[in-house]
Amino acid sequence: MEHERDESSGAPLLIPHGSVIVADWHRCPDSKEYFSKIFQKKRRKTFGLLEAPAMPPQIHVDTVRYKVFLAGKSGVGKTALAARLGGSDIPTMHYETTGIETTAVFWPVKLKDNGQVLFFKFHFWDCGENALRRFDHLLPSCKEKMDAVLFLFCFTDHGSFEDLSNQISRVSHPSHRIVKLVVGTKFDLFMHTDVTEREIRTFQETSGLPVFRVGGDVNAGLGEVAPLLNALAEHLWHQDCVTASCAPLSSQV
Amino acid sequence: MLQAEGVQLLCLTASSGVPLFTRGSSKQLPFSVIGSLNGVHMFGGGQGVQLSCCETDRGDRVVWRVFRESVMLIAVSSSGDHTVTELQLCRLLENTWNCMVLVLGQEELSNVRNVERLKRDLRSCYRLIDRLLDRGEDESVMGDLTHCADCLLPQNTSLLQEALDAFTQASESEFGCLLIRGRVAVATEKWWRLVSQEVVLLSLLMRCLSGTTSCDYPVFLPVGSPTVAHRLLRFQLIQGVDVCTLCGPAPSLHHSETELVGRFWSPLMDILHGCLEQTQHSPAPSIALHPDILALLLINRESSRSLSLPGCHTTVTPQDAPPVPSTLRRWELLRLFYTFAVTRYFTTGEMVTSQADPLQEDFSQGFCHVPLHCYLVTEECKCYGLQTPQHQLFLLAALSMPTFALRSVATQTLTSITATTGF
Ligand SMILES: Nc1nc2c(ncn2[C@@H]2O[C@H](COP(=O)(O)OP(=O)(O)OP(=O)(O)O)[C@@H](O)[C@H]2O)c(=O)[nH]1
Ligand SMILES: [Mg+2]
Repeated sequence: MEHERDESSGAPLLIPHGSVIVADWHRCPDSKEYFSKIFQKKRRKTFGLLEAPAMPPQIHVDTVRYKVFLAGKSGVGKTALAARLGGSDIPTMHYETTGIETTAVFWPVKLKDNGQVLFFKFHFWDCGENALRRFDHLLPSCKEKMDAVLFLFCFTDHGSFEDLSNQISRVSHPSHRIVKLVVGTKFDLFMHTDVTEREIRTFQETSGLPVFRVGGDVNAGLGEVAPLLNALAEHLWHQDCVTASCAPLSSQV
Repeated sequence: MLQAEGVQLLCLTASSGVPLFTRGSSKQLPFSVIGSLNGVHMFGGGQGVQLSCCETDRGDRVVWRVFRESVMLIAVSSSGDHTVTELQLCRLLENTWNCMVLVLGQEELSNVRNVERLKRDLRSCYRLIDRLLDRGEDESVMGDLTHCADCLLPQNTSLLQEALDAFTQASESEFGCLLIRGRVAVATEKWWRLVSQEVVLLSLLMRCLSGTTSCDYPVFLPVGSPTVAHRLLRFQLIQGVDVCTLCGPAPSLHHSETELVGRFWSPLMDILHGCLEQTQHSPAPSIALHPDILALLLINRESSRSLSLPGCHTTVTPQDAPPVPSTLRRWELLRLFYTFAVTRYFTTGEMVTSQADPLQEDFSQGFCHVPLHCYLVTEECKCYGLQTPQHQLFLLAALSMPTFALRSVATQTLTSITATTGF
């Protein structure tokens, strides 16, 4: 196996950006006909459950689906992140999410190995933290068959950063391989930041989880969301390959 | 819209008057005024008098209501020009309470043990409450006022009904509903047996959630199940078309989404697109209206369903003709006319007991008959209302329509809609 694994959690360590998929593919001219399918009238298109990007009949693109759970304290920006990744308007007010809301996001990806293009369909699962506490059935539902978790903290609330370890222990699943990434939100408010770069570096070293930063205007285009979506795709694809290659092995042990 | 009209909503504990929240109008009432509003209500209570509404000579209105002896809601309108009616404010209080129960359940609201905690928990109701105050794009939705479910009449309903019934059953539920553009297109028989306020409230919740792909929301039903939460599962099939079911512990959202939705709804993809297309301009595309009709609201009184139709009259009028109100204004006028008609003339059943306008009481009591028709001519439009045992119709017509023609146009419109659609 090429990639080291953290044996205790089974999670792959940080995968270098661009090692599995073509980095910043949305900037390449050959990606245009794929990315244009996730837009409508210059805005990101939202897809209902029965809908998918419409490719011309002669081009066949496989879709791979993943369930991604968004975890983090109330008010860190889970709902806002789901909206951001889906390309819709970010709520300006904080309205508590009183249940589970999911957002499906299609994202075209080109594999580095063989140049194959895939649509990643991420289902982001956003559950309001207070609802999660009130109703016991919500967390198990969010964890059912999840493939990845994004742990959120926000730069303006140190408490949310401290809460990360809680969040991580709550969803860990020893028998299950899950991609785990950390996202710091409200990075646009870095003037008021409550979390230092140094703390983040330490956290990254001790936890082995990569930290991403988001914040600011959605209208900044794909550049705003591409790094996170690509990293997610890359980690998930890598995890699938690892699972596929070591499945017979682990069943023998 | 109410927000723009300077309506403010206050919530206090009924026993001690501790403020729980205020929503609405940006200029907040000073604390002392809130205290007095609570005080005057309490004073009345001490004297065995229940204060429910008052109007100032400037045209401001205050409406009070205590729910389950634990929570007091007060609505204050300070637009000063009588545009916000008492009925609207009463409805606002009822709807607000229902939203609070929907999210938190009656138990927590009735037995307040920890005020600080309740205050914090009530924040989770703000999204729905703010939507009641500012209806945003729902301008043609009337359910918050009429307490009748806003419906839509697409073609192919039998296929949709079949799919919905099967999907609901597979979801281990009897309560299922398909919404197109936020209006009920078809629903299961049991869904229609929910109290109409609940149907309206669930539709409101679904419209609030419409930006997302699917949801699993714990909901208490204010009348049907105020202390035990059910799960509202909602799925966006295509943009603008949502299906929902009220479920128990199973199935999980993940299971429904991956196993059930595709199986039952993929075969209907083209039909759903067709319905969406058809209903783009009118919720009942098969109906041709008289060209001078600006908008209408038709209520089926037995089933508590309503249909609000835009007219085909354009805002572009010949030079000498009087100006025609904008689309948005038409819906506002229709709401006002509905309120006018039901509080003064069509005062049936519970409407009278709970909303009777004290000033009008003698007037309507003086009637020894039930009015069947009423009309009103204003500077902006002409209005005509009529009721039969089964229906109520509220119609706005352009000023260009002769007043004497209103009656026959309204009667014919009712007959033709009910005949073509069976609504
Ligand atoms: N400036 C800025 N504000 C943000 C950002 N992300 C979220 N917010 C704001 O933070 C507030 C809370 O965001 P939400 O997404 O509603 O919080 P949540 O995590 O979903 O909270 P719960 O549903 O209660 O668990 C909102 O007012 C957002 O507008 C960001 O990146 N930048
Ligand atoms: Mg949220």
